[in-house]
Amino acid sequence: MYRYIYIIPEAIGRSVLKICASIGRIAIFFYDFVVCLFTPPIYIKSLLGQLVRIGYNSLPVIGLTAFFTGGVLALQIYVGGSRFNAENIVASIVALGITRELGPVIAGLMLAGRVSASISAEIATMRVTEQIDALITLSTNPMKYLVVPRVLAAVISLPILVIIADIIGIMGGFVVGTKTLGFIEQSYIKNTLDIIELRDVMSGLIKAAVFGFIVAFMGCYHGYNSTGGAQGVGRSTTLAVVSASILILASNYILTSLVFTN
Amino acid sequence: MDHILKINELSKSFGDKSVLDNLSINIERNKSQVIIGGSGTGKSVLLKCILGLIEPDSGEIFFNQQILNKKNRADIDFHSKIGMLFQGAALFDSLNVQENITFGIKKLDSNHGNLIEIAVDKLKKVGLDSSVLYLYPSELSGGMQKRVALARAIARNPELLFFDEPTTGLDPIMADVINNLINEVIEEVGATAITITHDMESAKKIADKISMLYKGAVIWTGDAMDIKSSNNPYVDQFIKGSSDGPIKINPND
Repeated sequence: MYRYIYIIPEAIGRSVLKICASIGRIAIFFYDFVVCLFTPPIYIKSLLGQLVRIGYNSLPVIGLTAFFTGGVLALQIYVGGSRFNAENIVASIVALGITRELGPVIAGLMLAGRVSASISAEIATMRVTEQIDALITLSTNPMKYLVVPRVLAAVISLPILVIIADIIGIMGGFVVGTKTLGFIEQSYIKNTLDIIELRDVMSGLIKAAVFGFIVAFMGCYHGYNSTGGAQGVGRSTTLAVVSASILILASNYILTSLVFTN
Repeated sequence: MDHILKINELSKSFGDKSVLDNLSINIERNKSQVIIGGSGTGKSVLLKCILGLIEPDSGEIFFNQQILNKKNRADIDFHSKIGMLFQGAALFDSLNVQENITFGIKKLDSNHGNLIEIAVDKLKKVGLDSSVLYLYPSELSGGMQKRVALARAIARNPELLFFDEPTTGLDPIMADVINNLINEVIEEVGATAITITHDMESAKKIADKISMLYKGAVIWTGDAMDIKSSNNPYVDQFIKGSSDGPIKINPND
């Protein structure tokens, strides 16, 4: 009978210990990353390859997502705004919504799905096939060779992708606004340019750099610590996408509070 | 006697399970030492402890009379003096054969001459020609992957070569080819070799000396030709491949 009384506290205790251990492992991994980031060698060829893979190859998916998000946003604001005769705010809200929030968040989440998963699966496969051990026996630090180029490439790429996503997203709103909702092209563009401030764009780019770090770091962390063969590769991939997505949304709230409060 | 590697009272546990139990072994320079033993006896963990992939709980490892530990492994440049053939070859999927073979050379010396020439030379030593130079690991058969991995292991002319189950997963003919290649490259490079295997045919073919591991400790060491007359019931049972004898297979082990 008494045994059952302890089941729930024991389960809670075990979970808390597991979470603490995970946080500790992530902190140690981050420390190793920072040490490797500031000590030579830097693998430039690998960095360039990752810039193409993470940045350039993500352009189509991010461009398409941004275009349709801008279009839907224009439609929703038009429908919502028409309830209190405020249809004219469509261009302004699309511009602010895309640059401040939707551009970085949508790009970050798409990158979490596309890049975090692929980084995690690749590094986890290297782990289970002893390729990471082989790197060590060939006098190569896996953290410098695998993790640093990927994280740097994501931190550099995502702000650039977000600038492109901002432009395409606003263009999506413009196309829907002028072709479907009947706005005049010149006034739509004028309203958009009048409302956007440098601060709006910059806040989105700061968020993008943070999201880029989260996406690549989570992919690398879960892949690097993968265990348990093929099943472990699948598990680490899922964990990478889920943890990156949650951290993006949580850090988005924190960054928005920091940048736009006051 | 000149020992390239000395291991004193090495212990390693994972949780409650002791894998290496005060293991001591000395490896003679320019000899081919094979370490045999059943699954789970600690062969791979021993190899990983020497390579620095796992930190032992206690004990000491000496390489050329210098202690090997986490701190000084880089200082004495241990990894540039060794070559390792992994069980599954462990070739880098994203690199072609030439890049795989010369991967360690690029790090070792920037004035390394022509990497392609070096790769072709090493390929020749393992019985392959330049036609595979730009193929990727996924385009090679298992036997060819093992040969390329062997070429990578000897690319830096190491003092010490490690072979982890070199014939596992190969057909008997290809296994014999790999065994012959191992003998040839050991002789040519002039290196000391440490091989872990449970393939007795392979052990007989490539060993100068054989040690047997059981429950994380060395229970017999001797010349390869003496193994049949070891008078050790554990060794006798293992080389006969018999289920009758002092070695009991415990499903919980």
